[in-house]
Amino acid sequence: MAYRMRLAKRMLFSKKGSLVGAVLAVTVGILVIHVNFVIFQGLYDAMVRDAKDYSIGDVQITDESSLITKSDLAIIGWFERIPSVEAVAPRLSGTGEINVTKNGELIEETRVPVVGVDPMRDMRASTVHKTVNEGSYVFARNSIVLGSNVASDLGGAVVGDSVKLMVVDRWGEENIRRFIVSGIADSPGGQGFDYSVVVHIDTLRDMMAREGETSSFLVRMADSSQSAQVRDLFLRSFPSEDFVAETVEEAAESRLEGFRSGIAMINMIGYFGMMSSAFAIVTIQMMLVNGKTREIGILRALGARRRDVLIVFILQGMLIGAIGAGVGTAAGLGYTFYAKETKMSFNNSLALEVSYDWVKIIQTALTSFALAIIASLYPSYRATRLTPVEAIRAV
Amino acid sequence: MRNLSKVYGHGESRVVALDDASFEVHRGEFVLIVGSSGSGKTTLLHMIGLLNTPTGGSVVIDGTDTTWLSNNKTASFRNRRLGFIAQFSNLLTDLTVLENVMLPRQIAGRRGDGRIKDDAMALLRAVGLEAQADSRSNQISGGQAQRAAIARGLINNPSIVLADEPTGNLDSVSSYNVIELMKSTAKRLEQTFVVVTHDPGQFGDVDRVITVHDGRVSERRKLEPVVGSIGSGSGSGSGSGSSGGVVR
Repeated sequence: MAYRMRLAKRMLFSKKGSLVGAVLAVTVGILVIHVNFVIFQGLYDAMVRDAKDYSIGDVQITDESSLITKSDLAIIGWFERIPSVEAVAPRLSGTGEINVTKNGELIEETRVPVVGVDPMRDMRASTVHKTVNEGSYVFARNSIVLGSNVASDLGGAVVGDSVKLMVVDRWGEENIRRFIVSGIADSPGGQGFDYSVVVHIDTLRDMMAREGETSSFLVRMADSSQSAQVRDLFLRSFPSEDFVAETVEEAAESRLEGFRSGIAMINMIGYFGMMSSAFAIVTIQMMLVNGKTREIGILRALGARRRDVLIVFILQGMLIGAIGAGVGTAAGLGYTFYAKETKMSFNNSLALEVSYDWVKIIQTALTSFALAIIASLYPSYRATRLTPVEAIRAV
Repeated sequence: MRNLSKVYGHGESRVVALDDASFEVHRGEFVLIVGSSGSGKTTLLHMIGLLNTPTGGSVVIDGTDTTWLSNNKTASFRNRRLGFIAQFSNLLTDLTVLENVMLPRQIAGRRGDGRIKDDAMALLRAVGLEAQADSRSNQISGGQAQRAAIARGLINNPSIVLADEPTGNLDSVSSYNVIELMKSTAKRLEQTFVVVTHDPGQFGDVDRVITVHDGRVSERRKLEPVVGSIGSGSGSGSGSGSSGGVVR
């Protein structure tokens, strides 16, 4: 085998242009997969991350048909006994109409989703308060945080402005309250409360006439890997209630489902790209075989069997695959590292959640290596079909 | 070779490259095959070298009828029993001179790179190329390349060394040196050489000259023998121990 490997190496490295071309083909194939993964999987993971950080938590508790009527303390107390749970926060959701007046004059009015939070618990269970770039998070019963889009819709409302929020309660009565804008929330990609307003949960409960009721509980885990166990444990502990407990992936399924199909399609396109690289290798190796007819003739005249010639050219395919997989993986990892370190985002949208998926990285490298070998089969076979006389005539 | 023929094409495009050629070459003989361009002498050499299959007749080497050998056995036979020297670009340019000489024995699958290297170095020393052993084969002169090809042709102790116009691409001094090397090797090792040439005058005295004309072996001429006995079966080192190194 040693002489065949030596020949394969020397013959390949003597045609540097072809070698570079073939390696580049494999490299580009791998790089496309890595770039796709970083961007699309990164976007997907960023959406999951933001859903977890802002609206769902690691586990979300809701009621199957309406609002949760069990008291906050009972639910929160149950969760806080579990060591892997870090924090739990209740939220109440509704809709309302908001307007802003300045100098007695109505500036603008708009319809908005309203979220009620328990500020102290919410700041522990979620990071949505960090999206408040101007002012501060909800801190009093009459303070309100406006999403940046809402503030914009209200003609550029700013911190300190006085706004009126109207909510229709459970009995159909309109309930109007005045609030002072304590902060403006603006999150990259609009995954936070950019399109909502946030008030104290007790205030919203009062306005909606939903005393002690809750739309959902965000459960933040100290160890996310325990989410499924905690979910199951919760459901087993309240068998007679109509609770729905979901992990973040389950709760966000409806909004991530389409995206996941998109990722699958992009990955497929990536693998088609890799197959195009394989065709490039076939072409380049055919050129290598044609350029080495003389050598094949000499080898055959010296008694090399067809199998020996086949092995030499398959070894070349393996070398191309190995070098290409190495260079491509290194380039892909370089890109991934860059994207992770710079918290890459596009047009100031949400920062990609970049991760190193080693299984996928190894799988991609091995696939391209295998494809390079498969791509070398036909040229290698063609090399063996040269009869000694035919080949030696080129000598 | 017995009743050997080679026909290319069919019908009106039928070309008879070799027609009913029969002759014998004995161990240790230095034989020239001469003829004009296109006469069929290279076709004849390729038949002896098992590089081309005959349309009819047979090639028997060391008692083995090569007609019915499989592809793999033919390759193996070629590797172990035959040495080749071509006119141009004999060596693999991607390898060093030493690696070129070692190659036939490595193809044979013999183990022990150290031993193969020692033998190859001994042969390079014998052809005066010890200093060029580690040079790339495209960095040496045409004459040196042919001498390296002779060393490579001898590495497996073949029954016959076949040379196709070995001096066709060399100047007169290099040609003389290569011919002298072949003849002295033939004499020293009782090595059979079959050489195709269009210029037999360069070779001086040889055992025999076979003339090919329009595909027919039309002339056989016995010259003064360079080596003593013909068909003695001794000392060629073919390792076969079979029928006296006879090519019929």
